[in-house]
Amino acid sequence: MEMPKIVEELKPFFEPKAVAIIGATNKKGKVGNVIFENFKRNKEQGIFKGNIYPVNPKLDEIEGYKVYKSVKELPDDTDLAVISIPAPFVPATMKEIAEKGIKAVIIITGGFGELGEEGKKLEREIYEIAKANGIRIIGPNCVGVYVPDTGVDTVFLPEEKMDRPKSGPIAFVSQSGAFAAAMLDWAALAGIGIGKMVSYGNKIDVDDADLMDYFIYDDQIKVVTFYIEGVKDGRKFIEAAKRITKVKPVIALKSGRTEYGAKAASSHTGSLAGADVIYDAVFKQTGIIRAEDFEHMFDVAKAFAKCKLPKGDRIGIITDGGGAGVMASDAVAKFGLKMAQLSEETLKFLKENFPPHAVAGNPTDVVGDTDAQRYKIAIEGFVNDPNVDAILVIVLFQVPLLNEMEIIDILAEYAKKSEKPIVAVAMGGKKTEYYAKLLEEKGVPVYPTPERGVRALAGLVQYAKYLEKVEGE
Amino acid sequence: MKDEALRIIEDVLSKGRKALVEYEAKQVLKAYELPVPNEKLAKTLDEALEYAKEIGYPVVLKLMSPQILHKSDAKIIALNIKNEEELKKKWEEIHENAKKYRPDAEILGVLVAPMLKPGREVIIGVTEDPQFGHAIMFGLGGIFVEILKDVTFRIIPIEEKDAWAMIKSIKGYPILAGARGEPPADMKALVDMMLKVSKLVDDLKDYIKEMDLNPVFVYNEGEGAVVVDARIILK
Repeated sequence: MEMPKIVEELKPFFEPKAVAIIGATNKKGKVGNVIFENFKRNKEQGIFKGNIYPVNPKLDEIEGYKVYKSVKELPDDTDLAVISIPAPFVPATMKEIAEKGIKAVIIITGGFGELGEEGKKLEREIYEIAKANGIRIIGPNCVGVYVPDTGVDTVFLPEEKMDRPKSGPIAFVSQSGAFAAAMLDWAALAGIGIGKMVSYGNKIDVDDADLMDYFIYDDQIKVVTFYIEGVKDGRKFIEAAKRITKVKPVIALKSGRTEYGAKAASSHTGSLAGADVIYDAVFKQTGIIRAEDFEHMFDVAKAFAKCKLPKGDRIGIITDGGGAGVMASDAVAKFGLKMAQLSEETLKFLKENFPPHAVAGNPTDVVGDTDAQRYKIAIEGFVNDPNVDAILVIVLFQVPLLNEMEIIDILAEYAKKSEKPIVAVAMGGKKTEYYAKLLEEKGVPVYPTPERGVRALAGLVQYAKYLEKVEGE
Repeated sequence: MKDEALRIIEDVLSKGRKALVEYEAKQVLKAYELPVPNEKLAKTLDEALEYAKEIGYPVVLKLMSPQILHKSDAKIIALNIKNEEELKKKWEEIHENAKKYRPDAEILGVLVAPMLKPGREVIIGVTEDPQFGHAIMFGLGGIFVEILKDVTFRIIPIEEKDAWAMIKSIKGYPILAGARGEPPADMKALVDMMLKVSKLVDDLKDYIKEMDLNPVFVYNEGEGAVVVDARIILK
């Protein structure tokens, strides 16, 4: 497969040889200081392998790093510039960057198009310099890029105030910087691995479509999540979305769901077409999974990151609590999935190996006196049943005879060896949370409620069905 | 196809109008082989009588005026006309109603159309989104669209699989698939129509702003569908 030039163009954003931090300062808490500290810290920890070049005309050195007076003085290996100087100075700096031959620029600074016509003019000026010189820009008015594996971190929220998530197969793209930062912090707590985060703010250049094309060829990334406020070039978005969803799943959270066409329309159709239904149409047509909220987005992303794709929409449920099983069955109907009809062989196998008071069926209830081995029998039965496409295992860790580590290992083993997706639901408090984390670390996605577990499976099913349709052509 | 449709559109534009009357809209649709009834525009009562004879009674009269887009509000449609006497009477009536509704109404003629046998009603529409361009809409007609807003959109151009997905995704789908012992509707005909609308709009995207085919009657499987009323708004 021949790589499009976008892959080469965006590479310095994610793995630069040397980064120039324009506006770096030693004043704690300033944007230019936090970004410098991020790179410095990652360099010291051996994560960031490139060179760090602070640029500031008023300083000679920051914390042992030589400071360059201007872009002109920068060493020639500089291939990424991160700008945090005030907006009016950016165009002049961009000219210097162009002369220097740097091709990737992240403009963190705000005060551009979001403020009105004056700012838009600045944006156009910057964009024209970039365009004429083959420079790609992320931003302005953004938090930029976070890549845990290469140590690129332009998120100007200091580490002591915002945790960074570990690496993982999920890419996260956010128009909003505040949302991006909050999500990274939350993902760190939730143990969700983010391989690459891009927040593009006003996106005068690099946009959703460019990033989708890049992620097609990024082997680390298995699933791409987007927080979108608005798309500028709709056609470009559609084409890129169609390309990437053939290869990997994309989940989008689009704000403004309730905004309903209040515009004047002279046709019936026009009056029914709010912006939101159009986004719905775009997502459906391009195979993008639309998330209701951020929990939904990361629930589904987590399932894609850890699970295989189901062959159909028939769900098998195993539980050690009757109520939770009913909730899961309700959710199966709610999200348009089907309850699997277990085969005669499976029912026979379960009945033969279960004590009389355990319930073989769908849901299968291993009941409150279960041990890990009874779960194992149920999972074995479901995994081998041709009528089951995906499995939801509800584990109430609170039951007395269940050895937590044993059931965790069993689930991890089957999740790995089975061709079917297996997700777990663990409801409870602190202790449950502890075991749920262990289970996730072993590769099984865990959800705090049956409904969220089923909704994640519904995402897998939706994408599998889309792929089937596309491949059928 | 495109040339013929364009000729009608240019003609309307040259008259300083942005909205095609039903007759013109249907000519555009016809150019793209969409199923429209065998109907004719009569300029005089004599012509109307002649066309009615050709088409065969019962017929429908619809007065065409660029100033009156809501024909039923203005009472300028006369349904189920069974003979010449009735036609003459209704001809007068709809002309009077038009004058009452809009004294300045310019009258382009009267559409003489066959009285169609009723079918299940659907709506196919087109709108333009500032970011994504034209989108096609599909839904069941009547209260389903008016009150329940049970419609679905896709961006143009659409493929056959999109058209099928649209039909199957509306809540009222069982009505088309055949609920309560009814035979299924001719969904293939609907898919065909949606693909033709998609092509038409894709070809003429620089001209068309919005479009309603409302209602479309769809008959039982194998019996086709027909555009009963249509509206096209130009940019």
